[in-house]
Amino acid sequence: MNESAKSVQAKTAPWVWRLLPILFAMVVLAVMPGFLPEFLQRMMSKFLIFAIFSISYNIVAGYTGLISLGQAAYFGVGGYTVAVLMAHLGIDSLWLTGLAGVSLGALAAAAVGPIVLRVSGMYFLILTFAIGRLGYSLTWNVPFFNVPQGIQGIAGLPRPNIGIPGFHWTELSFYFFVLVVFAIAMFLQYRLSRSPFGHSLEGIREGETRMEALGYNVWLHKYLSFVIGGAFAALAGVLYVYMNRFIEPADFDIMRSFYPMAMVIIGGPATLWGPAVGAAAIVFVEYFSSVIVPQRWPLILGSLFVLAIMFARKGLAVYASDLWSKAGAKLWKR
Amino acid sequence: MEALKLDHVSKRFGGLHVLEDITLSVEEGERVVLIGPNGAGKTTTFNLINGQLPVSSGRIFLFGEDVTRLPVHARAHRGIARSFQISSIYPNLTVLDNAILTAHGLRRSRFGVLRSIDAYPELMEKVQTALDHAGLWEERHEFVKNLAYGEQRRLEIALTLAGDPKLLLLDEPSCGLTRGECGDMIHIINTLPRGITTIVVAHDMDVIFGVAERIIVLFYGKLLADGDPATIQADRQVREIYMGVEEGTERAGAF
Repeated sequence: MNESAKSVQAKTAPWVWRLLPILFAMVVLAVMPGFLPEFLQRMMSKFLIFAIFSISYNIVAGYTGLISLGQAAYFGVGGYTVAVLMAHLGIDSLWLTGLAGVSLGALAAAAVGPIVLRVSGMYFLILTFAIGRLGYSLTWNVPFFNVPQGIQGIAGLPRPNIGIPGFHWTELSFYFFVLVVFAIAMFLQYRLSRSPFGHSLEGIREGETRMEALGYNVWLHKYLSFVIGGAFAALAGVLYVYMNRFIEPADFDIMRSFYPMAMVIIGGPATLWGPAVGAAAIVFVEYFSSVIVPQRWPLILGSLFVLAIMFARKGLAVYASDLWSKAGAKLWKR
Repeated sequence: MEALKLDHVSKRFGGLHVLEDITLSVEEGERVVLIGPNGAGKTTTFNLINGQLPVSSGRIFLFGEDVTRLPVHARAHRGIARSFQISSIYPNLTVLDNAILTAHGLRRSRFGVLRSIDAYPELMEKVQTALDHAGLWEERHEFVKNLAYGEQRRLEIALTLAGDPKLLLLDEPSCGLTRGECGDMIHIINTLPRGITTIVVAHDMDVIFGVAERIIVLFYGKLLADGDPATIQADRQVREIYMGVEEGTERAGAF
């Protein structure tokens, strides 16, 4: 049975064919940026940071089925932790600020979890949104969170110090740093999705009652998923501040939360590549449409959203991989 | 030893008495069929036993331990497994993944992230036994949504077995099956390991008399009768209200 299943796969798409997209992705991610102008290298960094943010959302909403509209809360906590450490304590070590940002983000999710996980569905959505809003109001107009005085947010932050003497950040070296973090995040998401714990999250999404009856403490698993998601969101927030050297209360808010949601839906929820594909689609379409039609770019982004949902219900990643294997099957039939 | 004991258990939803003062016990290894007309409280009884619903009063014992206040997953760890009336298996996972997921439920590995879900050789034997028993091992790489309805019902049973249960609660395992499939189901239940205490909710006469060693009759929340199949079949009250066969003869007698 196992052997026959393998031979069926081999008939439809030989492994070389299936490896090609991965090779292509590796070339685009690892080789191409070196030949791009700086502003596009920065775009690539932004795309990968949002891909990590979307992985966070994919874990919480895609795999576990917790439809949150407040993922930016942990993004914001991660970002503000870095900003406050840099602006107030003069700590600019990448390792220290990064670790603190991710830990505090996870801690924030661990503190919020027991409150928001009391409810589900629409109520969960609204509660998580409210928590994000809380971060916004806590940082809005509070002198401690507005440096220098007179602006909203914390600006003028230094580049993080990685502790190697003589090292200077360029757009390209920063991009490669983000790429490494992204690769680690992808690997962690991969491990999670294949593990018993990851499958238990999908089981919970499909039916909580059944999972309880099987001996899974559904609440605990949801909680762990929520905290892991918080850590990934904080990681994205940390990187975002490293890149922009600026953070503002709006980074807590609903628009910021909406981005990973849209990216995961467009890219493909509960898939490995969905978050990255969705992030690429939105970041680049947003950028190029704003260049081509400066006043009308939301129109283009909106159309993309509608088209993706109409024609690629399971997400662009699934749609593209289906097309690819169909094309492969056709080619090999000849 | 008593596998299960309900001690004066009642369940009310507001003013509605769904179960009233049920006291019964099931010995280890017994095969019991729970019958009663719609609304008699059969599924509610299951929900109380496995903890999905809290009791309004009374106590529930599992192998001598008071589990009345334990949550569903804690009771599962003490050996209760149940199938559901509505197939609620995970349609987007394969048969094998479904069974493996079930087998992880009672182990520490359910929190594992370091190994892939199918990289636990110690579980595979159990999973294979369970799928084999339900005749689904050949189908193991199929997505559950592509299975025929009868196969899905059989998978329900296999899933409850994968966790090595001590007390099995089967809620209408033959619901919606054809006659032939129903026979398969009876065979599957009858060939369960003898050590597993089994309680089956059933409507179908073939299933009831095909698997029961003892029949418990519920009627609008009350325990109406409890005994071996022959006794229950002969019970006048049961025939009147559950099987409804006496009506004609009574009318005939009145003439």
